[in-house]
Amino acid sequence: MSAHDGHAITTPGADFRERTASAVADPVLQQALHNLDRRFRTASEAAAAHPGRKERAAAIRRETLRDLDGWLDRLEAALTARGVHVYRAATPAEARRTIVDLARARGARTVVKSKSMATEEIDLGNALVDAGLTSIETDLGEYIVQLAGERPSHMITPAIHKTLAQIRDVLAAEANRELPVDREALTEWAHQRLRGEFLRADIGVTGVNFAAADTGTLVLVTNEGNGRFCTTWPRTHIALMPVEKVIPRLADTGVLLPLLTTHATGQSLSNYVTMLSGPRREGEADGPDELHVVFLDNRRRTLLGTKYEEMLACIRCGACLNVCPVYRNVSGHAYDAVYSGPMGKVLTPLLSGGAEGTDLPYGSSLCHACSDACPVRIPLGDMILSLRADVPAPQSAPRRRRRVFWTVWSRAWATPSGYRATTAIGRISRGKVPGLRAWTATRDLPRPARRSFRDRWAEEHR
Amino acid sequence: MIDVLVAGLRANSCAVTGPVGVDEARAAIVEHVAPGALVACNDDVPIPDLTDALRDRGAELLPPDDPAWFARLPDAAFGITGSRLAVADPAAIALAAAPGSPRGTSLLPPSHLCIVRVDDVMATLEDAMTMIAARELPSALTWIGGPSRTGDLEMVTTLGVHGPRAVEVILLDGL
Repeated sequence: MSAHDGHAITTPGADFRERTASAVADPVLQQALHNLDRRFRTASEAAAAHPGRKERAAAIRRETLRDLDGWLDRLEAALTARGVHVYRAATPAEARRTIVDLARARGARTVVKSKSMATEEIDLGNALVDAGLTSIETDLGEYIVQLAGERPSHMITPAIHKTLAQIRDVLAAEANRELPVDREALTEWAHQRLRGEFLRADIGVTGVNFAAADTGTLVLVTNEGNGRFCTTWPRTHIALMPVEKVIPRLADTGVLLPLLTTHATGQSLSNYVTMLSGPRREGEADGPDELHVVFLDNRRRTLLGTKYEEMLACIRCGACLNVCPVYRNVSGHAYDAVYSGPMGKVLTPLLSGGAEGTDLPYGSSLCHACSDACPVRIPLGDMILSLRADVPAPQSAPRRRRRVFWTVWSRAWATPSGYRATTAIGRISRGKVPGLRAWTATRDLPRPARRSFRDRWAEEHR
Repeated sequence: MIDVLVAGLRANSCAVTGPVGVDEARAAIVEHVAPGALVACNDDVPIPDLTDALRDRGAELLPPDDPAWFARLPDAAFGITGSRLAVADPAAIALAAAPGSPRGTSLLPPSHLCIVRVDDVMATLEDAMTMIAARELPSALTWIGGPSRTGDLEMVTTLGVHGPRAVEVILLDGL
């Protein structure tokens, strides 16, 4: 999850402030981002149709977090009873090693991957390539992003930052021939190319949307069918599951699935939902012979019992990205992190133990649109504000200047004489204080009164 | 409830026939299948004599117990399956994997024909999941809303990216 880690940098800048400026100045990116408006409207309209669902879903997620370790133990027992192999990885490095070792031990050459933010989090694709395997992303958007050498800019629509013409260029370079700027033709080319990869793959790697502790069932949500392919054709299926994906009961998906998909895409249900209860059984013609599940912690359990515990209720729908005035203007690459948008601002510093993304909580208008949009009622806006106090931000020149300003101000106004002297300066300069231009460029500084209240009071009570 | 299901499936770009009786359903399937085509047909299709009717049509059948099933399924033009149940709102059909009912029949062929008994339609996903969770679960239960689709190209829906480009649902009257 470290900065850049070999991915192409599409939004340059040393920190979040600089990268937001370059994103806003990029006309092609801004054109591509217009498409987000459509998603935003359909998803919020669909979500408003079932107001009671949010409360029930929020309650289920909090019930899970109250005893996360207990539900994980129950899930492991239920999976094991179904013949699934379970591994627990404390760190991304452990998860990578577990999956690479499984692939090597099976003599695998090609791995097909279904879109999963967890595999992005542990940078699995590069680890597989380093181990000498071919790793193919099979979600169309994720495939485009992989070919471009980038990382996803949105967790639901990874290539939202690209226009159709740019996508054509990426696919034509891979095809080594001319392709038209035409959705049907580009989709058909990708269909043919990726079908070949599916049929030859030895291993399918997926994430997990929900894992039911009572039945040991893994639930996967896709629209394209690539998740189905990864769990139908290759002989081995490996699922990477962040620990908070566990839910108490399979029946809970009746509430959680429609909630996830309406907030993600505006669909009342995603096109495909796959519910896997163990590997292929005796006499079945397809499905994997082996099913492996890797539980990924990566500091998540350290959040339990803290004021950030509720962040683990997140179901990765992307609704907070779609409504965020910052995200909607700069897109995901400006965050230079696996998770972007409001949830990324919270998750990135927390999952890295304060090592990464510490300037992200500052790049927020604190409008709380994310808190309102969240289908499981995570107080994202409050968390962003808390993180400013709890995670020390890197010292930049503007931030240092700001600290000097506030220190001088608080000392000066702590005494009557200091207060009188500074307000006198303010009145004389008529509010034209040097160094405040960054603030007043977009706001009006109130003009100070000609005479201060203290002077008038002193005069009238002489 | 059936009307809600039909409207929902059509909104998801499915073609819907019925509810009809078995003879009409058989005729609809046979008419849909091109002569000479390779047709994968699962054992859970609740229509008697369907395979004979398809052979009469000139189709080549690929049954799940064919030793070459795994090798030949990628060449099949049509996949015909039954279903475990369906939900009206949100509109979706659930297929259960079993011996004789492999997962790939509804995934690899470009055209999927799915037979749903009206007696198996439930009102909501919540009802369905409560019932399913209380019973023996298949190795894979696959919910299908319609043809395979993507929104990854400037967020405009494009069909047929990995799975079937066409899904035809045939609703079968109660017996």
